[in-house]
Amino acid sequence: MESATNNEPQIPLSQDAESAGGETCLDVPRPYRLWTSPIQWFRSLTIERRILSSFGLVFVGILVISMVSYRNASIVSVNSSLDTRSHELVQLLTDIDVAMDEAENNHRRYLITGDVLYLTGYRSVVKQKPVFIRYLEGLAAGSVEQEERVGLLNRMMNRQLAAEAKAIEQLDGGGFEAVKEIALEGAAKDELAEIHRVVGEMELYEREALRRRVLESAAVTTNTIVLLGVGAALQLVLLASVYYLIRHDITERRRVAEELQRRGELLEAANKELESFSYSVSHDLRAPLRHIDGYASLLRKAVADSLSEKASRYLETISASATQMGQLIDDLLVFSRMGRQEMLRTNVDLNQLIKAILNDLRLDLQGRDISWTIERLPDVSGDSAMLRQVFMNLIANAVKFTSTRPKAEITVGVDIRNTEEIVVFVRDNGVGFNMDYVSKLFGVFQRLHRVDEFEGTGIGLANVRRIVHRHGGRTWAEGAIDQGATFYVALPTRRIGS
Amino acid sequence: MIVAKPILLAEDNPRDAELAMAAMEEQNISDKVIVCHDGAEVLDYLYCRGSFKSRSKGNPVVIFLDLKMPKVNGLEVLQTIKGDTNLRSIPVVMLTSSREERDLRESYALGANAYVVKPVEFHQFVSAVKELGAFWGVINEPPPEVSRSAK
Repeated sequence: MESATNNEPQIPLSQDAESAGGETCLDVPRPYRLWTSPIQWFRSLTIERRILSSFGLVFVGILVISMVSYRNASIVSVNSSLDTRSHELVQLLTDIDVAMDEAENNHRRYLITGDVLYLTGYRSVVKQKPVFIRYLEGLAAGSVEQEERVGLLNRMMNRQLAAEAKAIEQLDGGGFEAVKEIALEGAAKDELAEIHRVVGEMELYEREALRRRVLESAAVTTNTIVLLGVGAALQLVLLASVYYLIRHDITERRRVAEELQRRGELLEAANKELESFSYSVSHDLRAPLRHIDGYASLLRKAVADSLSEKASRYLETISASATQMGQLIDDLLVFSRMGRQEMLRTNVDLNQLIKAILNDLRLDLQGRDISWTIERLPDVSGDSAMLRQVFMNLIANAVKFTSTRPKAEITVGVDIRNTEEIVVFVRDNGVGFNMDYVSKLFGVFQRLHRVDEFEGTGIGLANVRRIVHRHGGRTWAEGAIDQGATFYVALPTRRIGS
Repeated sequence: MIVAKPILLAEDNPRDAELAMAAMEEQNISDKVIVCHDGAEVLDYLYCRGSFKSRSKGNPVVIFLDLKMPKVNGLEVLQTIKGDTNLRSIPVVMLTSSREERDLRESYALGANAYVVKPVEFHQFVSAVKELGAFWGVINEPPPEVSRSAK
C-alpha cells in the first residue's frame, strides 16, 4: 500500500468555503435594490421564481377582479329585488286608491238608495283595509320616509272609514234626511283627497327610487365590464411574459445542453485516447521490463561460475528495479482504470464490508497484537467493490504503519455531523505524519516514508481519493509524528452521479 | 517413426520468444516448439500453406498465442481457429502482457482455453511457461486428430 501515514489537512475544507461563498452571493438579494429597481430585482431571481411571481401576480389580479365583480353582481341583484318590491308597492297603492274611492262611492250610494248591496261593497273595503296596511308596511319597510307616509295613509283611511261608518249610523237612526247633505258632498272628502295626495307622493317616491337604481345598476355593470376587460388584458400581458420567460429559459437550456454534449464528446474522446494509452502501456511498457529481468537472469546463469559477489549484486539490482517498475505500471493502470470504470451503485453495508476486509487481511495480521475497535457503521450508497478498495487501503495502511508499535490500536468509526454526509474514519496509533505534508498525502506515488521503512508504491491513498470523489464525497486526514493518524472519508447521503 | 506433436508459440517479439524458449529448454521440450512471428504465420502453419506447405500433417498439441501481433492479431487468429471445425479442438492459451478486462472478456468469448498474463519477473515467467508447457504438452491429453480425408 501506499503513502499512507501522512497528514493532510484538507483541500476539501477550502473547497467548501469557496462554494459556500458562491451560494451566498447568489441567494441573498440586496434589500435596497429591491425597492430602487424592481426590474433589477426581478432579473436577479431564478427562472422558477420569476415564473412563480408572475403567476402570483396573475392570481392576485384574478382574485381582485373576481371579488369586485361579485360585489357588483350582488348590487345588481339586490337592486333587482328592490325593483320588484317597488313595482308591487306601486300596484298596491293603486289598489288602495281605487278601494278607498270605491268605499266612498258605495257608501254614498247606500246613503241615497238604502240598497244593501252597496253597503256590502263598502264593508268589504273595511274588511280589506287592515290587509292593505299590513302589505303596505311590509313593502315600505326600510325607508323612513315611506314608513311615515304609510302611517299617515293609515290614519287617513281610518278617519275616512270612521266618518263613513258614522254617516251610516245616522242614516239608520234618522233616515235619509239626516244624511242628505253628507250623501251629496261625501262623508270624508278631505280625507280622501289627502289619501290621493299621499298615494301620489309614495308612487312618485318609488318611481324616483326605481330610476335611481336603474342608473346605479347600469353604472355598476359598465364598471364590471371595464374591470373584466382590464383583467383580461393584464392576464394576457402576464401570460405573454411568462411565455417569454419560459421560452428564453428553454433556449438557454438548449444552448447549455448542446455545450454539455459537445464537452461530453470531447471528454469521451479524451477518455478513449486515455484508454488506448493505458492499453499500450499495459502491453508495450511491460515487455522491455520483462526482457531486462529475463536477460539479467539468463546472464547470471550463463556466467554463474565466474560471477563476483559485486557483479551478482548488480544483476540482482537490475532485476529488482525492473520488477519494481512493473509494480508501478500495474498500480498506475489500476489507478487509471479506477477513474474510468463504470460505477455500480447499490446499498452497501459497511459492517459487512469491514468484516470481509479483516478476513482478507488475516494473514497479514498474524503475529501482530492489534486492539480493534469497530463501531456500528451505517449503510451507504455506492459501488461496493470500489468502497471495499477504499477501506481495504485505509485499514491495510493502519496495519502497516502500526507495525513498529508493540500494541497497535486501530479504530473504525463513524462521525455523523449533519444529514448531508456520513463521515467514516480509520484511526491508528502508528507512526503518524507531519501535518506540513498533508497536502501531498493523497497524491499519486507520494510517499512520506522511505522505502526501507515501509514498503509500497504510494498509489493507495490516491485511489482512495479518486474513488471517494467519484462518489461525490471528500477525504482528509489528521495526524502528528509518532502520534498516530486518522483518515476520514465523507460520503454524501444523497446520491450524486459520477 | 513417431513424431511428437509440436507446441505452437505465436510471439512477434524475438526477445520474448527467446526467453520463452529458454524456459522450455529447462523443461526439455524446446525441440517440440515451433515459433511463429505473427498471426499470418500461425494461420499458414495451421492450414499448411506458404512456408509450411511441406510440413508433416497434424495439429499442434497446444497454441500459445500472443494478443498483439503484426498483420493478423491474436484475437483474429483465435476467431479463425475456433470458427474452423478442423481446428476448433486445438487448445489455445492466450499468453500476453495485457491484464485489461476487455482482452480477457473478448478472448474467453471467442473460446480461448486459458489466459495467462506474462509475469514481469523472469523467475515467475519461467515457471509459468514451464508449467504451461508441462501441462499442455505432457499432462493434458490432446483431442484425437480429425480425419484429414474429410476435407
